Amino acid sequence: MMRRGLQVAARLSHHGALPGGPYILPTFSPASAFGSSMDSMVSRFCQEKTDLKNYALPNASWCPDMLNLYHKFLEKTKADGWIRLPSFKSNRNHIQELKLPLVLTVSSDKSDCHIFTRCTETEGQSYEYVIFFHPSKKKSVCLFQPGPYLEGPPGFAHGGSLAAMIDETVSKTAYLAGEGLFTLNLNIRFKNLIRMGSLAVLNVGVEKVEDQKLYIPCVAQSTDQQTIYTKASGRERLSPRPCPATPTPRTNRKGMLRIQSQAGVQLFRVGLDTCRRHRQSEGKPN
Amino acid sequence: MLRSCTAALRTLRALRGRREGASPAARDPVLVRRWFSTEKVIPKDYALPNPSWSKDLRLLFDQFMKKCEDGSWERLPSYKNSKLVKEQLSQAQLFTRGYEDGLGFEYVIFYNDDEKRTVCLFQGGPYLQGVPGFLHGGAIATMIDATVGMCAAIPGGIVMTANLNINFKRPIPLCSVVVINSQLDKIEGRKFFLSCTVRSVDEKILYSEATGLFIKLDPEKSLI
Repeated sequence: MMRRGLQVAARLSHHGALPGGPYILPTFSPASAFGSSMDSMVSRFCQEKTDLKNYALPNASWCPDMLNLYHKFLEKTKADGWIRLPSFKSNRNHIQELKLPLVLTVSSDKSDCHIFTRCTETEGQSYEYVIFFHPSKKKSVCLFQPGPYLEGPPGFAHGGSLAAMIDETVSKTAYLAGEGLFTLNLNIRFKNLIRMGSLAVLNVGVEKVEDQKLYIPCVAQSTDQQTIYTKASGRERLSPRPCPATPTPRTNRKGMLRIQSQAGVQLFRVGLDTCRRHRQSEGKPN
Repeated sequence: MLRSCTAALRTLRALRGRREGASPAARDPVLVRRWFSTEKVIPKDYALPNPSWSKDLRLLFDQFMKKCEDGSWERLPSYKNSKLVKEQLSQAQLFTRGYEDGLGFEYVIFYNDDEKRTVCLFQGGPYLQGVPGFLHGGAIATMIDATVGMCAAIPGGIVMTANLNINFKRPIPLCSVVVINSQLDKIEGRKFFLSCTVRSVDEKILYSEATGLFIKLDPEKSLI
């Protein structure tokens, strides 16, 4: 994740696109610094021995559906290869040893920064979620319960909050499964509303890795799991930036999300491409 | 995505009342009259400068307020709470106005009726972080949805996001100011097609591009 960020910044500063640039970034590879296997990525990310507060644990605000599914997946972590991802206040907490170069730092006090989906301390007010990741299958399941601070239409979650949850789940999956860092494209089709306080289950999986891009469709559904995974709705050309190494713009598929609630079918279409910097320049295999 | 009907309706009512000078109750559709409760307290308008606003944001705000003087542009007020339904949770508040000053979304939206365009001046605070040092993609998506949605809601009334397609070109540094420019491209029946760009203040950096499809809702049908 950090390496991708560095390389994006390097490219941006070279083109003079970043304010205060250009900076020459040192050749830095967090993957090579810490080991490149997915297991080591996951173990560094998870940091079991830490004093940091883990927000991805049950609390009194979780609805029964969420608790049930949580325990079901917790059982799967014992034998089926699933991992429960911890969730700290900032992404910086997940990878503490890395120091970002000056161009990627911000002027505000770092201790003030919260990841967008962990912005309140009070249980049940905004995002309540936990992500389970399966390394060998390269997929994730996110249990998401929106609170009253995420209101859009009265009594229902704001679409932006769901977009954030989709982006968050997909980004974490992309990072752990393929060192993806920045989202290139987010294509969401909304069909129905999520009632505040109810559970939405997000199913995310890496469909393919092609040309420094991770294609990750996402399916969101209600607890009754009547999910229909539809075909890609179309193709679009991607701008080669921020991956200029790609000689011609590549197309990417749009996946389809569907949510089914007890009230009917909710359909969310998401095609997500996360760009991953190729490692050829560093002599590492992709 | 899903437009905040409450904020849109409240803004619409304020706008139309100012523009046409008629009593809102006399002109508004039955549904709107039924939905709006009697307000005894004037709600706080969050689309105004506060101490957390950076110099860039204030400068841009002043520039656009000047443009409002001849009536071509209008500043859209922005409120925190929904008063549309009595059954609402007491804690519920509009997602983008749920932060203390400067920590989350600081923004103001201006609308140009002739050009069918909205411009949002947005400053993302430290509670909207994704990759350390940068705005979360979901935060950007939220603001794009808010801006594009308002651009559809003003001519269209109650609308709902059907599709949002965002291309992220550059990561947006945390606590920086960006300008989100949304344009209504065409209307086909109940479908509103819009496009949007997110640029830096000097317009030299293109951070994101997006397209959106919004559907005008049938006021007789329920939301679910």
